[in-house]
This record gives sequence, C-alpha cells and structure tokens, in this order.
Amino acid sequence: MTDYRDMWQDLGMDLETHDLLCAALPQSFGDIYLTQENRPEGMAFYDFVVSEIHGIRPAELVKLKEDGGKVFGTFCVFVPDEVVVACGGAVTGLCGGSQFWVPEGEKVLPSGMCPLIKASLGAHFGKTCPYFSVSDVYVGETTCDGKKKAYEILGADKQTYLMDMPQMKRPQDYEKWTGGISAFARMVQEVTGVELTAEKLGDAIHLINEKRQALARVHAARKADPLPISGKDVLLMTQIAFFDDPARCAQMANALADELEARIERGEGVFPKGTKRILVTGTPLAIPNWKLHHIIETSGAAVVCEEICTGTRYFEHLVDESATTLEGQFQALSDRYMQNNCACFTPNPGRVEDIVRLAREYRADGVIDCNLKFCTLYDVEKSSVAAALEQEGIPCLALETDYADNDSEQLRTRIGAFIEMLG
Amino acid sequence: MEESKLPSTFEEFNDARKASFMKVKEFKDAGGRLVGFLCSYTPLEIIDAAGAASVALCGTSNETVPTAETVFPANLCPLVKSTYGFALADKCPFTYFSDMIVGETTCDGKKKMYELLNELKDVYVLHLPQGQQRAYEADAWYQDVKLFKEHLEAYYDIVITDDDLRAAVCRRNRLRQALLDLYGLQKLTPSATTGMELVSSVMASTFSFDIEAYAAQLEELVAKRRAAYDAGERPVGADRKRVLVTGCPLGGVMNKVVKTIEDNGGVVVCSDDCSGERTSSMMIDPEAPDILRAISDRYLQIHCSVMTPNDGRMENTLDMVERYHADGVIESILTACHTFNVESARMERAMESHGVPYMRLETDYSTGDVGQVETRIAAFIETL
Repeated sequence: MTDYRDMWQDLGMDLETHDLLCAALPQSFGDIYLTQENRPEGMAFYDFVVSEIHGIRPAELVKLKEDGGKVFGTFCVFVPDEVVVACGGAVTGLCGGSQFWVPEGEKVLPSGMCPLIKASLGAHFGKTCPYFSVSDVYVGETTCDGKKKAYEILGADKQTYLMDMPQMKRPQDYEKWTGGISAFARMVQEVTGVELTAEKLGDAIHLINEKRQALARVHAARKADPLPISGKDVLLMTQIAFFDDPARCAQMANALADELEARIERGEGVFPKGTKRILVTGTPLAIPNWKLHHIIETSGAAVVCEEICTGTRYFEHLVDESATTLEGQFQALSDRYMQNNCACFTPNPGRVEDIVRLAREYRADGVIDCNLKFCTLYDVEKSSVAAALEQEGIPCLALETDYADNDSEQLRTRIGAFIEMLG
Repeated sequence: MEESKLPSTFEEFNDARKASFMKVKEFKDAGGRLVGFLCSYTPLEIIDAAGAASVALCGTSNETVPTAETVFPANLCPLVKSTYGFALADKCPFTYFSDMIVGETTCDGKKKMYELLNELKDVYVLHLPQGQQRAYEADAWYQDVKLFKEHLEAYYDIVITDDDLRAAVCRRNRLRQALLDLYGLQKLTPSATTGMELVSSVMASTFSFDIEAYAAQLEELVAKRRAAYDAGERPVGADRKRVLVTGCPLGGVMNKVVKTIEDNGGVVVCSDDCSGERTSSMMIDPEAPDILRAISDRYLQIHCSVMTPNDGRMENTLDMVERYHADGVIESILTACHTFNVESARMERAMESHGVPYMRLETDYSTGDVGQVETRIAAFIETL
C-alpha cells in the first residue's frame, strides 16, 4: 500500500486518530466482503479502492486542485454533478457511514440525531476524512431538519453552499428547482473561474448519463435467478460511485456488467437458485455501512435491489440531452432530479409506487424498510409504505438502526424470522 | 344546513370536554365556518377574511400521545403526536368540527404528519420557504398565500376582497397590540403578573372564535393589572429571578416548565416562542398598496428554527433579554425537535457571549421526568 501520510498531513488531518480508522477497516472489510464465495472478478477493482479508500482517490483530487480544478463535497443525490463536471471540477461524496465519526459529531450536535449527520460533522471537525479536507466547498441542501441545521454549523467552519430544495412537487416547485440549479451554476462558475457553456454542460450531462446507465446495467443483472452478484457487492459499487471519477466509474461498472451478463447466460450465481430475494428501502447506506446487507445475506436471503439514495435513486431516470441552451439544460436537470422520491417531499406517493414497481421488476419476495434512527421523514413514512405493501401482498419488515453494533444480534433475529416467514 | 354530528365517543367525555364540543357544534350549526391551524406561519387574516373562525388544533396534552403512537413512531415530537392523536381519537372539538385544516412545510414531523392527517380530515398544506433572505423566497411565499386565498374562495364559494383583508388586518393588529400591552406589564420590575397567567392568556387567544371580543377582553385584563400595579399591588415578589423562556411552543409543557420556574423562585417575564412577544410585535400596515403582499411578507419574517439561516432569532432573544431585564434564559426543547435542538448550540453561544446565563431543557409531555426537570430548573435559578 502506498504511503499517503504526507498527503494527509498536508491536508491538515489528525493523523493519529485517522490511523485508528485505517487500522480497523481492513479487518471489517475482510470479514464482510472477502469471505464471500465466487465473487465476480470485476469486484477486484472495488476491493482495491477500499484498500486505499482514503489515499488513491484523494490523491487524484489533490492533483486536480494542483492543476487548478476545484473539489465540491456533497451529501445528497439532489446536487447536480453535471454542473460541476462541466466546469472542470470534481464532485466527491463525503464520509459519514461509520460509528467511528459519531462521538466527534456529538460534540457539536445533540446525540438524539441521525448517525449519518453526526458522523459527517464528526469527520469534518475531527479532521479524519480526506474527502472533507480536500473539498473546496461543501454543498448542502434543505432536505431534512437535521441536515438543514447541521449545515449552519458546518458552514461556520468552511464555505458551505446551500441548495434550497422544494418541499413539494407541484409545477412551480419544478420551476423553483430549475432556478436553484441555475443559482448553483453561478456559484460553481465563481468558485472554479470557468464559464459554463451549453456545450460543456451538454457533454457533462452525457457523461453522467453514461455513468447512470452503467450502474443501471449492474443493478439490472440482479433481476436474474440465480443472482450473478451479491447485494453487498453491488452496494459497494454504488457507494464507491459517489467518490469516483464519473468516466472511470462508468467504465468499471460496464466491465462488471459484462461479466455479470455472461454469468447470467451461463446460469452461474453466487447464491443457490431460489434464494429468498429482498428489496431494501429507506435511508442511505453510506460507506462503510454494510451492516444490514451483511446480516440479510448471512441469514439465508439475498438483497436484489436498494430503493434508497445509495441505490436506484442514484441512477434511475436520465437527463434529457436534447436541450441546447443552458436554460433548457437546467430545466432538463430539474426534471430529472425532481423525480427522486425522497421522503422529504410532501406528499410522496411516488416512493410507494417505486417500491412496488421495483419489487415486481426484481422479483422480490419481501421488502425491508430500514431507516437510520432519528430520521423523522422515513420513520413517519413507514406506515404508508407498510399499508401499500400489505395491499399489494408483499411482505414487509420495518426496522430502525444506527451505526453501532450493539443491535446486530437483535436485527439478525428479526431478519432471520422474516426470511423464514417468506417460506 | 345539515346539523353536524358529534363523535361516537361523545358520551365517554368528561363534562368540560362535552361542553366545548357543544359550544363548537352550536357555532357550526349556526352556519359558522371553522378552519383549524397549527402554526404561527398560517396567515390568519386570509381565514378571517373568508368569514371563518381560525382555531388552533388541540395538541398540548399527553392524553392522546399513546393513540398517535399506534400509527407514528414513538420517537417523534410530542406536539405532532398529540395533535394527530386528538384527530384520530375525535377528542378535540376544533379538529373534529373544522371544515379544513391548514398545514405548512415547517418541520419534518409536521410535514409528514399532515399526509396522515389528510386521511382523516381535509388538509391544505402551505409551502413555507426554508429561509427568509434569499431573494425569491418572499415572492414564492406570496404566491403560496395567494393560492391559499383562492383555495378558501373556491371552498366556500366566496370572493375575498382587499377590503376584507384590510379589515381583517385591523382586527388582528388590535389583538396583537393587546398582547403586546400584556407582555409590556412584564417589563415592570417586579413584573405585574406571573408567567403562568401571561402564557395562559396568550394561548386562549388561539381558541377564540371572535377576535375582537377576545382583544377587548385582553385590553380589559391589561387595564386591570395596570391599575392594580399602579395602586401598589405587587403579585410577583421583587426577589424573584426573571426568566426568559425560548425554544419550542410552551403549550404542552406549561406546568413542567413555566410553573416549575415560578414554583422555584423564578418568574417568566417573557417568552419568544411562536406566540411570544416578537411575533405579536409584527404589525401589518392596513393601508399597504398590496395588502396580500403585506400579509405574506409579515408572516415570513417570523423567526422559527425551521428557517436557515435564522440569525435573527438569536439577535431578537438578546434584545428581549435586555428589554425585559431577564436574569437568565431557559430554552425548552420538545423531544425529537431537531431544528430547535441543533440551533440551541447557537443560542447558547449567543447568550453566553453576552454573559447571559442559559440552560437547555429537552422534555416532552409525559410526567416521567418531572422530578429531574424541577431539580435542574431549581439549580439554574439558584445560580442566577
């Protein structure tokens, strides 16, 4: 492994604490991932990325900055990557998926909050995440109460641009989001010093669409039985997609999809044919949060689809590429991003429709609706999801968890009983 | 007009509840229009101008929380749960008899609760912007207030004229002034009344069908208190520590917070919650050229922690500390209210940087933590 300590030092990170994190990850990754059998060869790339998760990509971002580019750290799938890419910048996901960062976050936030938010702020303030450190600007959004207010705290420490998300999906809200994207583009141009043109944005839209299509191909391979790839592996690919260069992301996902499609042709799988198929819905699973998938897939079932932000919501729906003016492109972007059925919208009937549709497409035997603790939006929406699935005759298990490991056995018992009930 | 029906569980209610149900029923049967609301961002002048009475939905009692928890997660704001529980159990006459309920996209809990409330009652949700400073927000809110006006017009098959709105503004301004005068009594040293009386009087205004009658009642109360004070009456001891209460709405934690403060050597001299002094001080010019715009602009300026950024709230609280000669600030946060809870770190910093003692309390409507809350409040007041 390359030594990145100098880079981390230059980024102003807390090396000593960061070492503890670096020391813990290989063990847990090994236990959860490398114990799987007959993994696709294409996963080698993602395994390699994990092995240097805080080194290899941050080093590329440092290089981009040396060459005059800017890095935008984002928290949410509503932020239009296309605009940043068109201005020669890079978008990167930020750390927030581990209990490791939570205690540091609790120094600036109440403990009774979503672990994703606490971990994110903990990673920033504890200086233990190179993606935070390397970012020139953070991009927040008014999606939920917790994040909205946490950005005020983050913004007091580093430039944080806030995108004002509509709370509904009426025609005027689509228009408002078009305006929001246009304002975002002004900020990105200011920060990067690059003038946005319809040509550049058109190219970026095309590139990100290609990335979405590549991710969609890998996900689509999970409609087969036997499954050519585990849910855990697909989750990892999706998680890494938030950090990677979009062109390479598309290339690697397409290569993986080629392999999976060949496996399907041969009838080769990673689980026996007829293994119970689970669709996961709810709140995002940020890297390295593999807890839920690991429990499901070591309890006799497989995850075939994730109707979450680190799942279908990240790649479903392409941006219409026919617009030739910036104004038209902003509208096309708005139309695509507003199709995301996050529980932050009211009303949000589209999410329930998505879950039912995806459960059918991926031939799921049951749905696990799991949210992070203190996520009011998804927690309240649970009863609507449960009612709709009951009407459709799809079994559903509602769970709530956080990043701590102390509920693992309880989750295992409940998930095991649910899978058993599926017959 | 068809006579309105009472809930099937009416006979199980106690006499006080029966009486309030009958009072609202009479109002309805006499042709009265009733619109329920929850939040101080609701532009009440529009409802007034539609000839409807606006009533705050019941949501300050722990009684209906278990009912709500049959549908909602336990880990949710008690105000949200209580409000929904009252609707589900048909225990609130205002919720039960209201023609419609007006909601708003303020916080996650309420926003999602309205979706479920909509299955029980006709709910109209206003899209409240998430901030006040971005250039387009006042325009967007104006459009939403206009849509609401049009919704009421279509619903009641009426036309709301500018003159109706101006008249409504005048009546509301009078009520606001009466509330302000009431708050003004607390600026006296020692204050002229207890916080319990103050907060109860303010709360009552949200359950009144007739604003003018209520304003007159308040004016009378203020005059009476003022005269008594001038005559040398001092209902509040001069040694009591003066406390400003900030944070979430106080309705459901009156006894737990306000009464406990006053039972332990303090007096609540003001609150800057939703129905507090600042909100009342925001008048509307009845002569404004665009009266609807004047109304929408006024409501958007309310400082709730749902707004980002929300610096104005901290500035206002500091200003009130000075004007009311407060010795300390207690922030009351309802369990699972993320916006106030996160913002409390900034409030704490603002107070401490100005040498104002500050304490944060997180509590709900239950009685489980009464002892603990009392111990903390008593200790805080002792340090003042």
